Amino acid sequence: MRWLLSLLLLTLFGAVQAISSAGQRLLVVLEEHSEKEKYSVFLGDLESRGYHVTVDSPKSESLSLFKHGERAYDHVILLPGKSKGLGPALTANALLDFMKKEGNILVALSSEHPTPTSVHTVLLELDIHIPSDKGALVVDHFNYDSNSAAEKHDVLLLPFPKQLRPDVKNYFAGEGVIAVPRAVGQTLGNESPLLAPILRAPSTAYSYSPKDEAEIVEEPFAVGGQLTLVSSMQAHNSARLTVVGSAEMLQNAWFAEKATLNGKAVKTANRDFIAKVTAWTFKETGVLKIGKLIHYLNEGISKKMNTSLTVPENNPKIYRIKNDVAFQVEISEYADSHLIPFVPASQDALQLEFSMLSPFHRLNLTPLSQTTNSTIFGVSFTTPDQHGIFNFRINYRRPFLTNIDEKRQVTVRHFAHNEWPRSWQISGAWVWIGGIWVTVAGWIAFVAVWLWSAPTEKSVKKTQ
Amino acid sequence: MAATEGEQFLKQVSSRNTRGLLRVIILVLIAGAAVSSRLFSVIRFESIIHEFDPWFNFRATKYLVQNGFYNFWDWFDDRTWHPLGRVTGGTLYPGLMVTSGVIYHILRFLTLPVDIRNICVLLAPGFSGLTALATYLLTSEMVTSPSAGLLAAAFMGITPGYISRSVAGSYDNEAIAIFLLVFTFFLWIKAVKNGSMFWGALTALFYGYMVSAWGGYVFITNLLPLHAFVLICMGRYSPRLYVSYTSWYALGTLASMQIPFVGFLPIRSSEHMSALGVFGLLQLVAFVEHVRAQLPSKQFQTLLRALVLIIFVVALGGLVLLTVSGIIAPWTGRFYSLWDTGYAKIHIPIIASVSEHQPTAWPAFFFDLSMMIWLFPAGVYMCFRRLTDEQVFIVIYSVLASYFAGVMVRLMLTLTPIVCVASAMAFSQILDTYLDARSPKADAKENGTSDPAKVAAAVVLPDGLRSTRQPLVGIYSYASKLTVIGASAVYLMLFVLHCTWVTSNAYSSPSVVLASRLPDGSQHIIDDYREAYYWLRQNTPDNAKIMSWWDYGYQIGGMADRPTLVDNNTWNNTHIATVGKAMSSREEVSYPIMRQHEVDYVLVVFGGLLGYSGDDINKFLWMVRIAEGIWPDEVKERNFFTPRGEYRVDDEATPTMKNSLMYKMSYYNYNSLFPAGQAQDRVRGSRLPAQGPELSTIEEAFTSENWIIRIYKVKEPDNFGRDLQSATAFDQGRKKKRATKRKGARVLRVE
Repeated sequence: MRWLLSLLLLTLFGAVQAISSAGQRLLVVLEEHSEKEKYSVFLGDLESRGYHVTVDSPKSESLSLFKHGERAYDHVILLPGKSKGLGPALTANALLDFMKKEGNILVALSSEHPTPTSVHTVLLELDIHIPSDKGALVVDHFNYDSNSAAEKHDVLLLPFPKQLRPDVKNYFAGEGVIAVPRAVGQTLGNESPLLAPILRAPSTAYSYSPKDEAEIVEEPFAVGGQLTLVSSMQAHNSARLTVVGSAEMLQNAWFAEKATLNGKAVKTANRDFIAKVTAWTFKETGVLKIGKLIHYLNEGISKKMNTSLTVPENNPKIYRIKNDVAFQVEISEYADSHLIPFVPASQDALQLEFSMLSPFHRLNLTPLSQTTNSTIFGVSFTTPDQHGIFNFRINYRRPFLTNIDEKRQVTVRHFAHNEWPRSWQISGAWVWIGGIWVTVAGWIAFVAVWLWSAPTEKSVKKTQ
Repeated sequence: MAATEGEQFLKQVSSRNTRGLLRVIILVLIAGAAVSSRLFSVIRFESIIHEFDPWFNFRATKYLVQNGFYNFWDWFDDRTWHPLGRVTGGTLYPGLMVTSGVIYHILRFLTLPVDIRNICVLLAPGFSGLTALATYLLTSEMVTSPSAGLLAAAFMGITPGYISRSVAGSYDNEAIAIFLLVFTFFLWIKAVKNGSMFWGALTALFYGYMVSAWGGYVFITNLLPLHAFVLICMGRYSPRLYVSYTSWYALGTLASMQIPFVGFLPIRSSEHMSALGVFGLLQLVAFVEHVRAQLPSKQFQTLLRALVLIIFVVALGGLVLLTVSGIIAPWTGRFYSLWDTGYAKIHIPIIASVSEHQPTAWPAFFFDLSMMIWLFPAGVYMCFRRLTDEQVFIVIYSVLASYFAGVMVRLMLTLTPIVCVASAMAFSQILDTYLDARSPKADAKENGTSDPAKVAAAVVLPDGLRSTRQPLVGIYSYASKLTVIGASAVYLMLFVLHCTWVTSNAYSSPSVVLASRLPDGSQHIIDDYREAYYWLRQNTPDNAKIMSWWDYGYQIGGMADRPTLVDNNTWNNTHIATVGKAMSSREEVSYPIMRQHEVDYVLVVFGGLLGYSGDDINKFLWMVRIAEGIWPDEVKERNFFTPRGEYRVDDEATPTMKNSLMYKMSYYNYNSLFPAGQAQDRVRGSRLPAQGPELSTIEEAFTSENWIIRIYKVKEPDNFGRDLQSATAFDQGRKKKRATKRKGARVLRVE
């Protein structure tokens, strides 16, 4: 039924520009309905991209993230409100359960409003830390907007983020300046590989609490690049959570404003940046889809993968040690409403592991060919000289890309009794084979001599 | 066989057809009795495969029947020893499976389609009938009295020592191996007696069959050379011995090397060296005999001395050199444990942990052999009176087998045939003596007068002595004869009663299904094992990997049809130790091990509720010991004992014990069955802590009706990258404390 519905939706909104790969049902949690106007452009943009936006208050009785044990929405945006509690429908457990069912969440914080307890708990569980003082915000005495924050220096003007690492694709590149007014800075735990900063504060920024630390900041919460203004978390099931440090970034007021950065007049590009952040959070970009995984005995003929979904993979279940095996995998990337061939970042490689307890092979997969919406990667190798139950495994986890962890179990057996080379094919065995036949011939000759010699001859008898 | 029987018949001069027919009927009846007394379990429970190993044999047989012989030969089993797999075709004795497969196909050929399970269940009883026949043949070779063979057959048919391994459903290698053992010995005796190459070759043939069926073939491999060696030492070398031994050894060794599992062992392992040595010795002896006929005795003496010295030095040096250089495999641990019963306990816990490798308790001899245990020495003694070549064999066999049976419980099985033969010889002697109703005539004066001692005695002794009054010494009165015969009959009947009782009560339990009595006396079946295995079969994916202690590996493979990590084929001690470590460590240590081995479910056996003592907590120390053998730094047996050296599960249990995965899995949620604080373990007889253990990395999936089997599912790693302990704590409502003040240097994040 669900696929029918989604098909229906697909045809209905086919004309719309971008559709998330994870569904269109979007819940916006906003405490004061009156504040909706402030976000009208933002919400309008989302609607124009095909989302069915439901705006609801956390106090509403009917609000629930789940219906009949399934998600009622695909994505949630939590906008800041006045109260610290978010009500029974949005407890920390409910939010985590929502993510366990692959729902995506965008949390907007604000230094003017208290951070709800449940949000705080969720962030703590995910190893994202925010200052505990109410009203703490990020300031920068170099990159501020002199129009609106000439005194307080709390409206940061930043360029679009650069590539996080050389092997990671950048989904947030753009032209212009991003305005980050009165942001709550976050720090990311060092342990978790699931976290990645989207927008980092410049090296001159720091976080302080205007109430407590108005005079002097002795021990700031975090400074410089350690402070992130927009951070992301992607769970093992690829559910995404984005923390936007400043809810004002989403408001109409900062979407395309005039600002002054170090005496130069600039125009903020928040609308573009926020569109990219939401697109990523709601899985319009950076979504990998794995197609078929095929492997076969490499007998010199390269097989062409049939990418049609109606044809099953139909892989062999068993190989022998020292077999030549070819492996192919089809991977596409979902980018703005359709699948395109996936190309890894320039310094990155997709790898195949052939493992039993530990990898016996770890090989780079090379792109063999491209179809209209997928790349076919492949590699050939020889199975190790070890029998057992192996896995072809692709474990590809990169920031901003959904996780791929696929494996196909296969048995590698020993040589069967008739697969060894025959004795005469081994030159070293010729001596022994010769020995056997000489013995046989000698014995027959002996018997012949014995039988045909005169019975009185004693010398022959002695030889026995 | 027909020929031998015919020969037996020909010896009887009068009415030999009647006697022959009678003998056939008796043998058939004995075979019938042997088969039927093994059917208790089928009647009481159902046609089911018993215990542990038979489940593997059954599974292998099914594979053979489904996939044909060559696929079976090359079988790589990917459902055991995950993820290593097992080269099953090359690491088993295929004789049993092939035998049932052949029977299955013959029956199908005769258009009698019988389910392979029923063939497997009934194979052991069927072969026990043949064993009785083989015992008859063997005994008939030993003595002239025809009754001894029949008695031996009857004894063999019903003795508990053999029944213990051959009841219906006990589909194990021993089922056919004992028949092959006895029959090979019969053929050997025949070969030695006749000096016939034909019988020698037949011995080799059945020896080959025996090798293909059971690891206990080494017993034959050593017993036959020993027999030959003793005969040579006794100065009984003869061309008969030479012909029979060499033809057996040459053909038998070639035959045994055809089994992949045996392979080159006959020429490489120390256990087989005696056969090779005696083979060489026989050549020398034959050569020396030949030289002796040619040379004057003086020169011969010198030559012999020099020869003996040189050969001894060369052979011993060669053996030592080959052993040191590793060409001949050194003695295996199992072999050492045969000589030193304490060896295994110290060095190889995996061998010591098997109950059938324990030394035999002395009541077991009475239990398994009953009255034969005191008839047996009498029979052996009788062999000394007429020490023919074959009776030497009986003596050697009985001495060796008695020793081995005392060392290992399971070797009682090899002792049983010789006990039956020897006691039948003794018993038939009694019967032959006392059942003879004829009294010798009083005028048999020649006897008395021809004996000079008697004449002398008659002169000296007064007439008052009975022996002088009556010329014939002996018991000829009907009263005394009747007394002895009656007593013997009573013994025989008691023997039958004992055998039936033991079979019915001790050896007919399938151990997969437990039987108990309700207060009203009716039988109650406890079927937890099958309940749990079928749960696995029906509720888990086809390739869900099950971790359990190795005892249950074969059963899970056979009944639940799921891959297991370790099973009863204990070929890889490290892998077993890995499972032992996972069971005996904290969850934090076990979890990565289980993830690495792709474990989906963990199965434990817990008898605390029912008082079932064969559970995993009682076997736990073996897991600890085996794990300690590999990781002495991480698992320590001492930590599982209280400071006073007690093994406890109650409040005073050590933290290591309480935190071990096995303890947690056994007692998880057990408190909920009892009122608060009243939880009782009925096996250990101790009260459990009020606070039960908590699990975070695994979750309970299934618990059987009587809590004997508990199955846990291994959790996936936490979705948000937390460790499972804190994730579980969070789910239970314990929130993480906010780190208010950081201590120490700030940890910076680097990309």
